[in-house]
Parts: sequence; C-alpha cells; structure tokens
Amino acid sequence: MVGLSIGEKHFIQGGIAQDLRSDGRKRLTTRPIYVETGVISQANGSARVRMGATDVIASVKAELGRPNALQPDKGKVVVNVDCSPTAAPMFEGRGGEELSAELSVALQCCLLGGKSGSGAGIDLSSLVVVEGKICWDLYIDGLVVSSDGNLLDALGAAIKAALSNTGIPKVNVAAGASGDEQPEVDVSDEEFLQFDTSRVPVIVTLTKVGRHYIVDATSEEESQMSSAVSISINRQGHICGLTKRGGAGLDPSIILDMISVAKTVSEQLINTLDSHIAAAEAGEEES
Amino acid sequence: MLGSLYRLSKLVQQFVGLMGSKVIRSIFGGVRLWAFLRGCHKNGGRQAQPPAQLFHLSVLLTQFQEMEYVSPEGLRLDGRRPMEMRQIRAEIGVVAKADGSALFEMGNTKVIAAVYGPREVQNRSQQLNDSALVRCEYTMANFSTGDRMRKPKGDRRSTEISLVIRQTMEACIMTHLMPRSQIDIFVQVLQADGGTRSACINAASLALADAGIPMRDLVTSCSAGYLNSTPLLDLNYIEDSAGGADVTLGIMPKLDKVTLLQMDAKLSVETFENVMQLAIEGCKAVATYIREVLLENTKQLEYRRGI
Repeated sequence: MVGLSIGEKHFIQGGIAQDLRSDGRKRLTTRPIYVETGVISQANGSARVRMGATDVIASVKAELGRPNALQPDKGKVVVNVDCSPTAAPMFEGRGGEELSAELSVALQCCLLGGKSGSGAGIDLSSLVVVEGKICWDLYIDGLVVSSDGNLLDALGAAIKAALSNTGIPKVNVAAGASGDEQPEVDVSDEEFLQFDTSRVPVIVTLTKVGRHYIVDATSEEESQMSSAVSISINRQGHICGLTKRGGAGLDPSIILDMISVAKTVSEQLINTLDSHIAAAEAGEEES
Repeated sequence: MLGSLYRLSKLVQQFVGLMGSKVIRSIFGGVRLWAFLRGCHKNGGRQAQPPAQLFHLSVLLTQFQEMEYVSPEGLRLDGRRPMEMRQIRAEIGVVAKADGSALFEMGNTKVIAAVYGPREVQNRSQQLNDSALVRCEYTMANFSTGDRMRKPKGDRRSTEISLVIRQTMEACIMTHLMPRSQIDIFVQVLQADGGTRSACINAASLALADAGIPMRDLVTSCSAGYLNSTPLLDLNYIEDSAGGADVTLGIMPKLDKVTLLQMDAKLSVETFENVMQLAIEGCKAVATYIREVLLENTKQLEYRRGI
C-alpha cells in the first residue's frame, strides 16, 4: 500500500526505537482527535472522527424488528464497515471488502462481546420493546472516508460518539395483544431515549514495530509493523475484547505488558473523547 | 369440505398478518416523517426533507389525491420558490491522502469526491498511447438513503452514474496532455436527497481542479423538472420521484457547451426549452459559486506559501 524506500523504512524504525517518531510524537502519544456529531441527518445518530489524515464516519440507525428466538430478551446490533474508494484507489470495486470484513468483525467482537451478548459494551436488553416480539435492531455503519492508519481506533471512537448522539424514539405498546399476535406499537416522535454510552469501550491498538510498540500508528508506520494488538477497554478498566493482527508471533509476557499500557492510554483517550463528544453535542445544539 | 375451509381460514390469517405489518410500517413512516419535519424546522425550515419515509407517504398520498408540489402561494414542499436552488456549500481538500478532493452539498444531498492521478496506468492493457485514461466510480454509503441500503456496491444504477460522470468529466479534461497515464475519480454519496448526479459532477469538477489537472473549463451541473405545470429548479427526492420530467444538465459555463443532458418522462418542446433554460441558469449559478470557492482556496494556498 505504501511505497517506501529502504532509507525511509530505517528512518521510521530508528525513530520508533529512539522514542521520536517521524511526525514528532512519542511512542505512546496519539494524534489530536476531532469529533463532529450529527453529520448524517437521516440517521438516529452519527459522528465523524478525524485523527490526523484518518477520517471516518459512523452512523446508527434503529429499526423495529423481532428478537432472536434464542434470546427473546435482547435486541440486535449489527456492525458493518465500508471502505470508500475515496480513501485509497485500492478499495475500488470489491477491493475494500477484505479490509471491511476484517474491521467489521474486529469491531463486532470489541463492542458486542460474544455470541450470547454477554459482556457487550451496549446493553442489549435495553433495546427490547416487548419481550420475544419487538425489539430495536441497531445498524451501526462505519465509513472510511480517508485512511492514514489506525482505522480500528478511529472507528471505535466514531461509533462511541455516534451512540452518544443517538436518540431512540420511545415506543408505546398498545395493550391487549396476546398469544402469537404481533402487538400494535406507536413510535413517539417527541420523546427520545438517550443511550447510556458510559459502558461503551474505546479501542486502543498497539502496533509492534521492531522491539517496541506504538499507539495510533500512521499508515507508513503500519507498513513496518510485525503485529498489532487491538484492545477494547471501558471506563472501568475492564477489557471488553481483544484481537491480534499481523503475521509475527508475540511473547505472552509482551501481550500482558501491552494490555497494561493500553489501559493507561485508554484512560486518556476516554477522557479526551468524552470531552470532545460533549463539546460537539453542545456545538450542535447551538447551531 | 373441511379441508378447504381450513385452507381458507389459513389464507385469511396470512392476509390479516400481512396487512397488520403494513399498517405498522406505514405508522412508522408517518412518525419518522414528523420527526424529520421537526428536525427540518429546527434547521430553519429551509432544507429539504430526507427521502424514503416521505416518499412512502407521498406514494400513499398520490393514491388518494393528486399531490400538490407547488402550493397556490407558489412555494414548494420544502419552502423554496420554483426557481430557487437549495443551499449549496463546497469545501476543498477533505481527503488528505488524495491528490485532489472536495465535498459538495446541495441541501441535504452530500457527496465527497476524490481524485487520484494522473499516475501510471494500473492495468497495462487499458493504457492509451495518445491520451489519459479517465476512470470513475460512484458509491453510496449504507446510511445515505432514508431506509438503510443493504447492497450498495456495483448495482446497475451506480454503474450507470459512474459512466455518466466519467463521460462528462472526460469531455473537459485535456487528456491529450497526459498520454499513458490514468486519472481516477471516486465519488462517495454520504446523503442522498435527489440530484446526486449533479452534486457528484460538481464535486468531481472541484476535486479535479484541486488536483491541478488541466481542464478546458469547469463542468457544473444542475437539474430541473416540471411539476404542476411549473418548471422547478434543483429537484429534491420527493419532487424527483413524483413522476414528472427530470432534466439533468451539465455545462461548461465559459465555453457555453453542454456536456451532459439527460431527461426522463415526456415534455412538450416548448416546455422543454423553458426547463432547460432554467437548468442552464442553475448550472451558471453553481459555476459562479464553485469559482468563488476555488479562488478562496487559491488565496489560502498563496497565503500559506507566503507569496
């Protein structure tokens, strides 16, 4: 993807070894983050997050549906990511599908926990309207508009921001339906339920280049990585999901080390993200 | 006898079930519409309404009565005058990694265009020895329409629009100056509310200019239609799907040449002339705005370089 000369490669690797990266950051410093909410007017919630040249949009759409027969007390959440060809010509046609699938799966397991929905960052039982009959289906769509590395973290942040921007209409269920009948519902246009996003985790990706690992890698740095570990951590410091990418193997002790580093980084990230989201929401209401 | 009765009752059950879900859906549509209208009201009531739900409603309404697209006071559904355009906004350089990029908004329609190139031809068999190869891809985001799209890639409509945009842009790019090279134009629709074709062409035009690709002139595009015996400029989704004529026009304003002309439905020749004239006026207005944006951008660049 990135064409680099041998000199440039050495420069990047050497910089990381000396704790001074090519854009002047330290190994564990993130790029400044910009959050904008409510960018897609027809969605229930949306946000655009920029980190350096990485630019992603996340939107949340809620539709009423039927809960899964095996889990009648839980709503459904589907995460889907698309890579726009505007981000890189290689995403043209079906070119972005592999990366899209990889990101979707990683986000799904970082945000939604296992198949049973236990340990999910989003409280699935809050999405149920009538147990076993009606629930909200949340469709979370991510779009990569511009890509400069660290897509997973940016998407995770965008989804968190979009969820806190999401208002789900209050539903009044008509009484009297019994048995197999589908009850009649009335979706309120006045009252919206705000999501509790305090439990939604953020994702921190640690990219291993040479003997060290860095946060918020650019695409040049990502091209030099041996492996990367994405850890999703919530405000309480619990690990909500973990994925490892890249070809090289990792020492188990290094992984544990990475987790503790990710924990400290995630604290800062959650704080900056929360303040940015609050600022974006305030700005949106004003305009 | 008993068997047939049973079958009949099953059928009735199925039918009732079907109707029930339809009623629920139409209620949702209506409710969402109100939510949107409220939202639009908050934005000053000027912007057009988001598409699909309204569309359902408009279909419902047209079943019972002839829809009124222009009120007796001469106002359209979104409060515009017949010859008024939606608010347009453009921004240059939204995709940092691309050679040129732009965002273009017409009311609620929002598109991003990115240009890569001129660069080496990726697929050697497509290389042209006397001119540049221009390629274009149009994609719609899952969330761009009112109802969520499920299969956004590679359908017939996007292939057709890609082709239209490519041909329109090819007409203005001086391809003979860049033989054996390739220019990629990618347009991504973020929000669709009618006139995506026009918005995409305008965005592509800006992105090409931002990339510094030699062009004969800027191509600008605008649509116009004819409803309730009134020519309307810049149709939104509801007006677009009303079944009247829709003329999409692309012109090179300085050379005064038409590079794109598409129309569906039928119109008498005299009306067509009026509608096309209106579309031309629209294109020229867009051109003036685009020129302003480009000039502003160039001034910024100049300032940053310290000239």
